[in-house]
Amino acid sequence: MFKKIVKNFGPEWGAAVMGTAALCITMQLSSEVARPFSFLLYVGVGFYLLTTIMLLTFLIPWTLRFFMYPEEVKKDLKHPVRGNFFPTMPICFILAGTGTNKLGPMLFGPWFAYHLSIVFFFLGVVGIFIFGFLLVRTQFLNKEVHLEHANFSWFIPPVSHLIIPVLGVCSMDVYWAETSLAPVLFMISMIALGVGLLNFLFVGAAIWHRYIYHTIPQGRLAPTVMVGIAPTAIIVIFLIKFIQAIEASHGNLFGISFMSVFSPIKIVASALWGFSFWWLILSAILLFTHYVKVKDHPLEFGWWAYTFPLEAFVVATGLLAACVASHFLYGMLIVLNILVVIVWLAVVFGTIKWLERGAFFKPQH
Amino acid sequence: MKIRSIIIALVIVLIPFIIGIFLFMGKSGKAIDEKVHFITDTRKNNKGVTYKGIKTDWTFCPDWEYKPLLFKAEEYLVFVFHYTNNTDYDVQLMPSYTFVSPGNRRYSANEEIAMYIEDKVENELKINDETPITYKIPPNTIKHYIVAFEKPHSLNDFYVDVDVFRDVTLRLHYKKENGNWSNYSNELVKKYKGRG
Repeated sequence: MFKKIVKNFGPEWGAAVMGTAALCITMQLSSEVARPFSFLLYVGVGFYLLTTIMLLTFLIPWTLRFFMYPEEVKKDLKHPVRGNFFPTMPICFILAGTGTNKLGPMLFGPWFAYHLSIVFFFLGVVGIFIFGFLLVRTQFLNKEVHLEHANFSWFIPPVSHLIIPVLGVCSMDVYWAETSLAPVLFMISMIALGVGLLNFLFVGAAIWHRYIYHTIPQGRLAPTVMVGIAPTAIIVIFLIKFIQAIEASHGNLFGISFMSVFSPIKIVASALWGFSFWWLILSAILLFTHYVKVKDHPLEFGWWAYTFPLEAFVVATGLLAACVASHFLYGMLIVLNILVVIVWLAVVFGTIKWLERGAFFKPQH
Repeated sequence: MKIRSIIIALVIVLIPFIIGIFLFMGKSGKAIDEKVHFITDTRKNNKGVTYKGIKTDWTFCPDWEYKPLLFKAEEYLVFVFHYTNNTDYDVQLMPSYTFVSPGNRRYSANEEIAMYIEDKVENELKINDETPITYKIPPNTIKHYIVAFEKPHSLNDFYVDVDVFRDVTLRLHYKKENGNWSNYSNELVKKYKGRG
């Protein structure tokens, strides 16, 4: 039985950890809005612990599969949809590191938490860059990729690179700000930001091309539209954490002064947040006026794509609220936090139902 | 869905909330003991510093003991700053704080610890902490901000830079005298504005 599980344990399972991990940050941010929400900080710790359990549990079959069933792994890597989910596991390391950075001090104290989050950072960086190169190479050389294969899950590799600087600057925020590790974290973060940002634009254009000049993907890929929220939302998170890192470095980080960049960052972050919000509405329109209307929205594991991008948008909302339109955005944060919990609950129940019908052992290609 | 599946799903979704409720009750009750005592409050003896119509007061706790759930307790230096706007117009504040120990070792404020102890500080001092990076203070209004620093071992003197004004930094000096912390001087230090 265990061998069968390992054989069928596809790369997409990291998405379930991602969708749970980000909730610890949405809870932490919501807890800061007002006194009645303080308990959410501890619910966030609960989500952090659940994420850790899921990560450790999923990592075993995910890793073993590379050694026990390399042919299955190769087949998945070449798959135009499933292949893009390989970076989800290294993304989980970055998210676990971010959770450890924010909530770990409550469990282990600052010293241990900040060191552990750095270990997660480097594990995530190595995995993301390896899969990034592998996937682009595979896409470039694969003669079987056609226009109709383009879908928003192609955003996952750029997103994986964009998420690296989030933990990079979170780590520079306090503990590592004045150490020799700070320039290393900064350079890795900036390289990843450049790779993620430009790949997001290139890949986005390819997918846009398909959506306009070809039919839109079938219902089981409908949730991937939500992934479009993530890139700009993550850039917003990065920008606000970056400004906090500059502030923590006594107002000047590598010659970048807080006073000179705070205003432009507020403008850029607000505009990018606006794009994510627009995309959220667009996703809802596509979902309800097309997929639900034509009854083409089957229960799939891919429903996890509804969780993380929306949660990233909630985190972006909470962080942006610390800079602009605080009252409006904090109100929105609470409403959105309730929404993401509802979505997460629905997806967890949906996944159990999906497993119950034996879909795990019959992967669709 | 089968009953077994519903139970599995319920267990998964309830784990974070049950853990959260237990932790919240443990932390907000007295189950996890944390020692707290503030020794300085400049509001009591009118020792705050006024510059350009903004009065800066502070409350200081030199040995706030915070106990992580799985590790032993550690002490933190906790400051609560109170900014009063005595001008006739709104003021936008973007303060930043630096702790400097002997040997010019500089430390940033620990946002995480400040976040965990926020409720307790607010209850103790009957205040509301500001969350945003930047906040507006209308005329004749007070805003409060909690700052926590990790405490280096065998500390006998230090200063804290409060970077709240464009042209000067408020520097608060503390040293240990007969085992007690004393705020022996405060100064407004001019900021360097060159290109080098």
